Amino acid sequence: MADPRLFRLRVSFVKQGRLTLLSHLELARTLERIVRRAGVPFAVTNGFSPHMRIAFGSALPVGVGGREELFDLFLTNYIAPAKILPLLQGASPLDLMPFACEYVEPQAPAVSVAFPLSTYEAVLEGGLTSLVIPEVVQVKRGKKEKVLMVAEYLRGDVEARSAEDVEETSGTATPQTILRFCLEAKPSGTLRPDKFVEAIMASTISAGGASSELRSMALTRLNQRAL
Amino acid sequence: MNSQSHWTQLAPLLRDVERPSRYINHEWGASLKPGADFSFCMVYPDTYEIGQANQAVRILTNAVNAVPGLRAERAFLPAVDMIDQLRERKLPFCSLESCTPLREFDVLGITMPHELAATNILEVLDLAGLALHAKDRSEEDPIVVGGGPCAYNPEPYWPFFDLFSIGEGEELTPELVLRIKELRGEGASRRQILRELSHIPGVYVPSLYKPVDEMTAQVSGSWLEPLEEDVPRRIKKRVFNGFSASSAWEPCVVPYTEVVHDRLNVEILRGCARGCRFCQAGMMYRPIRERSADNIVEGVLEGLRATGYDEVSLTSLSSTDHSQIAEILTRLNSALEGTGIRVSIPSQRLDSFGVEMAELVAGQKKGGLTFAPEAGTQRLRDIINKNVTEENLFSAIDAAFSAGWRRCKLYFMVGLPEETDEDLKGIASLTQRAFDRARSVVPPEQRNKVQMSISCAVFVPKAQTPFQWDGQISPAEVQRKIDLVRRSIKYRGITVNWHDPKTSFVEAVMSRGGREVAPWVERAWRKGARFDAWTEYFNEEAWRNAAEELGLDIEDIAQRSFEPGYVMPWNHISTGVSTRYLVMERYRAEMGQTTPDCTFTACTACGACKSLDSQNDLAQGRVLPKGDTSLFVDDEEADS
Repeated sequence: MADPRLFRLRVSFVKQGRLTLLSHLELARTLERIVRRAGVPFAVTNGFSPHMRIAFGSALPVGVGGREELFDLFLTNYIAPAKILPLLQGASPLDLMPFACEYVEPQAPAVSVAFPLSTYEAVLEGGLTSLVIPEVVQVKRGKKEKVLMVAEYLRGDVEARSAEDVEETSGTATPQTILRFCLEAKPSGTLRPDKFVEAIMASTISAGGASSELRSMALTRLNQRAL
Repeated sequence: MNSQSHWTQLAPLLRDVERPSRYINHEWGASLKPGADFSFCMVYPDTYEIGQANQAVRILTNAVNAVPGLRAERAFLPAVDMIDQLRERKLPFCSLESCTPLREFDVLGITMPHELAATNILEVLDLAGLALHAKDRSEEDPIVVGGGPCAYNPEPYWPFFDLFSIGEGEELTPELVLRIKELRGEGASRRQILRELSHIPGVYVPSLYKPVDEMTAQVSGSWLEPLEEDVPRRIKKRVFNGFSASSAWEPCVVPYTEVVHDRLNVEILRGCARGCRFCQAGMMYRPIRERSADNIVEGVLEGLRATGYDEVSLTSLSSTDHSQIAEILTRLNSALEGTGIRVSIPSQRLDSFGVEMAELVAGQKKGGLTFAPEAGTQRLRDIINKNVTEENLFSAIDAAFSAGWRRCKLYFMVGLPEETDEDLKGIASLTQRAFDRARSVVPPEQRNKVQMSISCAVFVPKAQTPFQWDGQISPAEVQRKIDLVRRSIKYRGITVNWHDPKTSFVEAVMSRGGREVAPWVERAWRKGARFDAWTEYFNEEAWRNAAEELGLDIEDIAQRSFEPGYVMPWNHISTGVSTRYLVMERYRAEMGQTTPDCTFTACTACGACKSLDSQNDLAQGRVLPKGDTSLFVDDEEADS
């Protein structure tokens, strides 16, 4: 995998707005097209069906945004990061805008597994009187149902604070709740942040901690860190 | 309500529907033209992933946006889950770019891509909140224009459209929208506007005609009579004579979600004069126009830079016929070396797919290759004027499998005019011999990798073709014929696929019917028929019950054969090819005589160039591949 003749560029970008609705596969295809449009000297795999040498960060579910998403691009020539960033930016839609890039060691761990700790922020519409974190989360995958132990994935506490969404024209304020939590991706699997938020809302509502009108408005990965 | 608020209403739905990226707009290359107050929306009557790569959508939005003061946007019929959500919440069907309800546009263009899209057109109108019938629309409603392949027999759709645009829309569509803008500015009524538009060449306003009886139709040459003196009796299609000189790079939208034909599509030539007698496209895009190699190569490279695609398709009805195809492929292959970009060609003709072509399109990745012999015996191939021989097929197979391909699909049709059981057994025999041939040129250790499949389509008689007078065989007979083909295949390495005869039957009714078919479409839609081209949604019962309730003899419409020359319901619409030529071609078919391609030999007098005041416009002279004599006229034929 590590080819010493290549330069490994790590690009940080946002995933926001409408483009949070892209699936991981759609995002991957879009990033490849951004790189091609940018006209940077990307490396191509050898073999029967050559394709771009690019590696994507860990996947976000459809509907979840990211403040600092990552991909690694292998280049055949060195170009200064300050020069390459504007090229990538000029080829990117606003809601997937790259904002930083740097070269990393060719032998560094893959970008998809290097940062297993993800911090998320959820914006809920509605106020809470108490917050109930479930012990388990049931997720359906096709016909199979899986039960995940929250303690295995959750690092630290779920922080909650209240906020207000003030509508500009009318001035009406809607109470909001902001949740912040950190999940660890395990080699054996992950707890999807959107499923986790759904489960928190369900257990909080059923314990009387919030009205059944509680809605999840947005979910964003704030950052990704190494262990 | 402004567009922002429409988006605010739609956005929450997107988390719960399949493939939300269909609805989000903001793709690379999508743009909303600022400061243009008169609006046109190009609507494709199927979902985003089916319609986004459609050529008409790309061409016509570009053409209208190029006119000062006019703005063009796109809309695609949402998928069933989203449609249901919109109806349940009483939300409007909106365009992509500005998220404006379709009903608020000045003009809607709905493309009519194939016969099975008919109920989806009604779904579009209804979801947009428009009256299904043009006559019931208010002065404020958009003018609804239909166009595309099915506009060559628009009668089954006549009440639903205000007007049809016949032929190529590059010039006609902007002309139309601009004229509507002027007339609306002058305060003209809907009826006045339509009357005025009927004077524009290529425009057919169905409400300005009344049907006549059969006797009158056969004598006068048309089933419809203009209600007013100044309304044309016959509507000739429009041709875009500037095609060859126009840039091969046409700015396009790069979708986020995977769509059909998800690649850079560069149209390298328009039209095909091979003259297959069943083929509507071969009749309706005449004359033949090629873009030059320089134009195409520059266009491809510019398009790839602008879009970031990793594949380009050189599209047309028959791309290997381009007079400079070898030069184009050679230049592109060398320009794109080491980039991982693939160059593909959508359809290969058997007689022009030689060793050279195999090497040029081989590129890196060899997927499946598709050839279309269409019929199993030389006799029947001559009848349909396919003009390829067994030898053409075998040399193409030799070239392809020697060059590394291992999979090949062969297209055939069943139910063709003059077909016998021998022709069907011929499909099996030809395929098995092709399979043997493929195995013999492949190294022994790879022989078990050779795969061949055949795909049998049901012959659908198409308006404006020499076979328009031939009825379709019954679905039961189709099944018998397909079973015969399947039984005749003895090799386990050959798989047989076939089209559902029930959908092909609906296609035939839509293809051949007149105004009497329109109520049937409407009734079937009311009974729940929609997305008929999707196997999982095709609702035969709705179509059957609708016909029963209306007392409409749909078997007769689909299956009845007429004497060549009988005036058909679309006779007032002209592709430029003369009815006389179609009649002659039908007789030549019966006699097993072939007709050559005028771009390789001499004029065959189809009448298109003369009628349309246009001509074939090739980049250079076309040359037949070495050893191919299939196109030369033999003495016997020259005499006739």
